[in-house]
Amino acid sequence: MQEGKILGYKTINRDLLRGLFENPVKYWAIVMFLGLVVFIAVFAAGFMVNRGIGVTGLNRPVFWGFFITNFVFWIGISHAGVMLSAILRLSKAEWRRPATRAAEVLTIFSLMTAVLMPFIHTGRPWRLMYWVFPYDFSRGIWPDIRSPLVWDPSAVNTYLLSSILFVFIALVPDLAVVRDRSSGIRRIAYSVLSLGWRGTPRQWKLQAIAGILLSALILPVFVSVHSIVSWDFGMAVSVNSWHSTIFAPYFVIGAVHSGVSGVVTVMIFMRWLFGWEDYVRREHIDALGRLLIVIAVAWFYFFAMEFLFGIYGQEGDELATRSLQMFSAPWGWLFLAFIITSFFFPVPLWLFRNVRRSFLWMTITTISVNIGMWLERFIIIVPGLARKQVFTQSWYTYAPSPIEIMIIIGTFAMVLMLFLLFAKIFPLIPLFDIKEGQILTDEIKVGRRKVPAVIRED
Amino acid sequence: MKLSRRDFLRLASFSTLGAVACNFFDEREFVSQSPVQLPEDLVTGRDNWYATLSRQCIETEGIVVRVMEGRAKKVQGNPQYPTNLGGHSLRSEAGLQALYHPERIAGPLLRQGPRGTGRYAPISWNEALDHLRGHLQAQADRSRVLTVTGPLRGSMAHLVGSFADAYGARHVAFQPMEDAAYDHVMKDVLGQQTAPTFDFKNANYVLSFGADFLGTWKAPVQFSKGYGEFRQGLGRQRRGTLVQVDPWFSLTAANADTWVPIDPGKEGILALSIAHVIISEGLVPQERINQLTGGQGASALNAYAPEIIAQSLGVPPLHGSEPHEVIREMARDFAHNSPRSIAIGGANPAAHTNGAFNLSAIFALNFLVGSVGAEGGVVFNPPAPVPELAKTVPAASTGDWHRTVADISNGRTGVVLFRGVNPVNDLPADIGLRQTLNRDDIFVASFSSFLDETTEMADLVLPERAPMEDWGDDVPSPGPGFEVIGMQQPVVNPLPGMNPMGFADVLLQLSREMGLDGATPLNMPTYHHLLQDQARKIHALNRGSVQDADFNSFWNALLQQGGWWDRDATADASPSMPNIAEIASRDNELKIAGPTGGNTFNLIPFQTVSLADGSGANLPWLQSSSDPLTTVAWTTWVEISSLVADAIGLREGDFVRVEGANGRSFVAQIYHHPAVPPNVVGIPVGQGHTASLRYSKGRGENPLHIIGLPLEEETQSLAWAGTRVRIVPTGENSPIPKFEGIVPAFVPNQEEAIVKITRG
Amino acid sequence: MAENRKWAMVIDLDRCTGCQACVVACQAENNIPVNEEKDFLSRRAKQWIRIDRVWEGTWPNVKARFIPVLCQHCENAPCEPVCPVYATYHNSQGLNVQVYNRCVGTRYCANNCPYQVRFFNFHDPEWPGTLHNQLNPDVTIRSRGIMEKCTFCVQRIRRAERTIEGRDGEKVNDQSLKAGNFMPACVNACPTDTLTFGDINDPNSDVSRRARDPRHYKLLEHIGTSPSVIYLKKVDPNAPKEEAH
Ligand SMILES: Nc1nc2c(c(=O)[nH]1)N[C@H]1C(S)=C(S)[C@@H](COP(=O)(O)OP(=O)(O)OC[C@H]3O[C@@H](n4cnc5c(=O)[nH]c(N)nc54)[C@H](O)[C@@H]3O)O[C@H]1N2
Ligand code: SF4
Ligand code: SF4
Ligand code: SF4
Ligand code: SF4
Ligand code: SF4
Repeated sequence: MQEGKILGYKTINRDLLRGLFENPVKYWAIVMFLGLVVFIAVFAAGFMVNRGIGVTGLNRPVFWGFFITNFVFWIGISHAGVMLSAILRLSKAEWRRPATRAAEVLTIFSLMTAVLMPFIHTGRPWRLMYWVFPYDFSRGIWPDIRSPLVWDPSAVNTYLLSSILFVFIALVPDLAVVRDRSSGIRRIAYSVLSLGWRGTPRQWKLQAIAGILLSALILPVFVSVHSIVSWDFGMAVSVNSWHSTIFAPYFVIGAVHSGVSGVVTVMIFMRWLFGWEDYVRREHIDALGRLLIVIAVAWFYFFAMEFLFGIYGQEGDELATRSLQMFSAPWGWLFLAFIITSFFFPVPLWLFRNVRRSFLWMTITTISVNIGMWLERFIIIVPGLARKQVFTQSWYTYAPSPIEIMIIIGTFAMVLMLFLLFAKIFPLIPLFDIKEGQILTDEIKVGRRKVPAVIRED
Repeated sequence: MKLSRRDFLRLASFSTLGAVACNFFDEREFVSQSPVQLPEDLVTGRDNWYATLSRQCIETEGIVVRVMEGRAKKVQGNPQYPTNLGGHSLRSEAGLQALYHPERIAGPLLRQGPRGTGRYAPISWNEALDHLRGHLQAQADRSRVLTVTGPLRGSMAHLVGSFADAYGARHVAFQPMEDAAYDHVMKDVLGQQTAPTFDFKNANYVLSFGADFLGTWKAPVQFSKGYGEFRQGLGRQRRGTLVQVDPWFSLTAANADTWVPIDPGKEGILALSIAHVIISEGLVPQERINQLTGGQGASALNAYAPEIIAQSLGVPPLHGSEPHEVIREMARDFAHNSPRSIAIGGANPAAHTNGAFNLSAIFALNFLVGSVGAEGGVVFNPPAPVPELAKTVPAASTGDWHRTVADISNGRTGVVLFRGVNPVNDLPADIGLRQTLNRDDIFVASFSSFLDETTEMADLVLPERAPMEDWGDDVPSPGPGFEVIGMQQPVVNPLPGMNPMGFADVLLQLSREMGLDGATPLNMPTYHHLLQDQARKIHALNRGSVQDADFNSFWNALLQQGGWWDRDATADASPSMPNIAEIASRDNELKIAGPTGGNTFNLIPFQTVSLADGSGANLPWLQSSSDPLTTVAWTTWVEISSLVADAIGLREGDFVRVEGANGRSFVAQIYHHPAVPPNVVGIPVGQGHTASLRYSKGRGENPLHIIGLPLEEETQSLAWAGTRVRIVPTGENSPIPKFEGIVPAFVPNQEEAIVKITRG
Repeated sequence: MAENRKWAMVIDLDRCTGCQACVVACQAENNIPVNEEKDFLSRRAKQWIRIDRVWEGTWPNVKARFIPVLCQHCENAPCEPVCPVYATYHNSQGLNVQVYNRCVGTRYCANNCPYQVRFFNFHDPEWPGTLHNQLNPDVTIRSRGIMEKCTFCVQRIRRAERTIEGRDGEKVNDQSLKAGNFMPACVNACPTDTLTFGDINDPNSDVSRRARDPRHYKLLEHIGTSPSVIYLKKVDPNAPKEEAH
């Protein structure tokens, strides 16, 4: 069932490539503004590297704070891409089409942003080569592969590389379309990038197989990334409320929750910015809204279980952490805000068709989810450290410094800015996918029956 | 799956090969250990440990200093030195920072601007000494010269005394929170000229009245050494019991098995009450009782029966026992452990208008249980074996200081020399030394290494050598119960650019130049020679820890060991017997000064283990050591009972105005203290410096300035614990600098308690 | 490598008075920068050995307990496997060592140390003016961005091995360490002899003897860290009940 107009190929090309060939003032104003915010954040980060981690609000025992929270958050957002593209592609969900590339690109940029976080948060970022590149062969000094901080870069880099490949494979036919419409240096660049795409049946077949194969291969990576990120905490035997066996699936589903919400927000934003009313349609956000209900409920189940397991043992120090999380200021308020914004506010609303089909309401609810999910990570990470074990004299709290806040805001601006710049260079909605989607809905009358016009991907 | 024989053989051989290959690996390959060892980034230089004395507190400690390439690196206790036996306090460690402090004065300075503005010009030592000599020789009446030092012992006491006598000057010793009442009672009740020590090591029961002997009272390191053994010494019959009677939760109270809170100034009454129980219950032999009460027995003390006076002492019910039961139990335990039971008193009980009465009553208890001179009891110290070393100059009482300052303001003093003390800051403000010194007709010289408050008032600054750069000796007080002479030697030379001169050497040079060098010690060329001269007398004794036919070898061994001692040379215990009946009949009325009414509290000024009396407040290690109980550092705080603070709505870190007895007041932050009794506030001394020294200037306040001048009635020592203050909230709050974090109301459950407790 | 030594410490809580001498001794020996007021306010003060004060009860039956806490040199140290660069590892003498040059400052080890004894250099250390003359040449000064903690005064152990074993027929043991001032600085300073250091593999050492005291326990044993620091319980005859071990 498809709603909306049946558009000609020409219109599709014109509409979806408008971003590449036109320069609306609105667009550049936004990019400039984001650029400024990013610049401030880069300055703040430079200041921090220059002066030392002392410019943050970190302390003993809260050695990790906003940066690691933000790291986990962006890793979470990055799960949208694969979730939408791979799973939905494999499960042949039709409504995915306009969302896939936006989601994949969001994956790439949020991953890139995420890896920045642990990098700048270290005491001596310039020494990190020890860690990522075991170059110090001569004395046999290698990274310690027992450390989750070695697993992290492996998993994240694998995910980043495969996501880039994934986006690129899908991009090739569209690049050829752009190539055909551009001139001069741009044409040369696009020619190289489109790898001599001519649209022959063999090329289409190879492209389709590559897409499906990558979809299948990337899924385990997708699950592993956030599992491994969760082990940064799960492996820490000493921190109550971190050391939890349920963390891996709990984090993965949480990531999907925030990631898919993020994609919805971004899609509606693009629709507004580029005037894609015909491509991002109510039926799409309706379908994503239904998906979100399922994800959110699953996530909530894991959340509730994690909490239950935590308090079930009735260990004093574990209870101290949990009571801090829930009942003492400011954590209690943050906890309330988190649970409302991530679940009790959006999910009941999504049950209403009118909400799911309202662009305004979907924007509000999905942003709300991500506010909640950011807080969730914060509430997991900091109170656990603040109430570590029974050394009550070392218990403390944490408040971010302006430097940390600037950098965190900067990461949001950076992801959005990169996203917009990408839209300037590459078509954000896959042309071929939309066309293919239309073909799939084209019907031919055979006798009295209507049959699909082409055979499906498989 | 079907496995052919060929496949099976192939698999089997592979596994065998694998197993063999694995065995070739060093087993360490499988140990989770990094292949790198710790970088052995050791410096190859040689280090030496030199024995000397630490001069950071009144209790000198025998220390060894690690010296490497001409720089002192580390202070450690001298394990052989008989008082501190290798232990040391955190204060002696900071001697290194006094040595290498960036604000040490490099050489002599002459005042340029108006007095007190701190403008000085550097001059040479010759000029400086000419200047000083000029002023000394200009005095027609030589008693117009006043020499002010800290309490002195050993050769320094001998030298300064001889100089003052030869010249005709007056010599007064100053010590913040001086203890004239204690010295008086040692003479009066115990009949001792030298301070006694206490054999904690062998004691079974210690009853301490206010004496924070594990923190800052008298010789805390010497006492702590005994305390460790008192608790868990090898081969002890049983663990010693410590009961602390204290109006405030001192470090010693924190370590006591039982802490008995009491109203300030009532300690002596409680001691007599204990005496009453012991006597009336006949817990000690009757003839001793008769001896000590002049034959009156319990009747002399009837007014002090626990049932009669317990309610008036402010002792709360403890562990379910009523106050009079608590007192009875203390008395019985004290007597049953005789003679291995000690009663000591100091600090708070001494610092009241009835301080001498309190201490007399407390120390008399030792006679009652026969622990005076016994093992595990009160141990007397013999005087130094060489008469010249036996001289001491104890600190003058605050009453004396009042008169001395009056003498200055009456114009009866023309020259004041300050050495090693900072009375401008440390004397109660009501005495007004700062204003008194601020006049043109006197000449003030200071021998301090730092531009402290007193030195800022000086016309001439003659910076002394740091203790680690100078010679010296000491007869520890209290000693360990036998003859000890500690030796201090220079362990390093002053840094390049630093040009200090030893105080003793200045005096010797002045004596020579003014023709006072008729006899020893003033005829010695240097202090080093003087000390060697003294050492010859010790050498001649031919006994003790260092003996050698050859004097040079003897001298070297003396320095190497850090001193000389003779464990067999103990004091003959022939004390006078106090009369408890007489003590009981004394007027013990307590006068508490200061405001009364709402939100007023008894002020307990106290010394912390780091800053103590504040003489080292400019040393960063001392400022930055957190107080053991509150963990606060770098500031002055007001310890207030958390029950009271909650009731009047004060949060931790709230600024309150502390209004004193003399109309003065200051603002400080409060600390919610779960153990301070509701009727007192504790405020540490040691801060409140105004001189422009980077680590101490403008930090905190000195509570001794707001108490007025209450004096102990017999000895005129400062009754610093005898005033009330009013606490007025200011409405401001900020975090208090402390080491502990947010200690929550939530109490972790007992199985996970980090400090595990057992009953025996 | 020399004999099969395993360094350990016994801390007798019944002796400790909380006097802080050990804290400053460690500060002086190990070139720990001065903890300034702002370090206390931002909770970044460094005390490799700290005296935790635990309140018990309510006034007037209130107690303050003191416990010196330093790196427990866990045999199964949670701080070690999380370090991505092997900057903290176990050496063959039972020490948990910190290699400052390798540390990149992730602070993961500090999160995973249950005893909270790891300290991070949030800023570069400073010794104004001539104060640096006191610095111990045997101990590296840590720049910002580096984790640090108690080393059991490894520099003294190394110096002892070189000095003592350089002489003929002498061995590194309790006696020779004590005689040569090679005991850890905190142990040397303690005026109540609360701290005992030595080779726990030598059954005759002081530390082995004291570790056999029936009052012995280890901190947070349930986490499975197996610390090398052994505590002897505080004795309090007035304690409400005998505590389950
Ligand atoms: N040596 C050995 N190994 C085994 C087995 C064996 O019998 N012996 N059995 C095998 C079997 S059958 C199983 S099922 C697995 C089990 O393996 P695990 O699932 O690892 O089981 P546990 O060690 O019991 O628990 C894991 C951790 O969960 C923490 N925990 C406890 N309660 C909670 C909670 O409420 N919330 C959170 N977040 N954490 C909690 C505990 O502190 C514990 O450290 O082990 C397998 N491995
Ligand atoms: S106490 Fe902490 S730092 Fe020391 S070895 Fe154990 S886990 Fe590591
Ligand atoms: S802070 Fe240093 S020692 Fe600790 S885990 Fe990170 S790199 Fe390793
Ligand atoms: S000494 Fe220098 S080169 Fe050698 S390991 Fe250390 S940092 Fe690296
Ligand atoms: S053993 Fe050494 S490094 Fe460790 S706390 Fe003691 S003095 Fe500090
Ligand atoms: S020096 Fe000894 S008594 Fe003092 S706090 Fe340290 S361990 Fe306790």
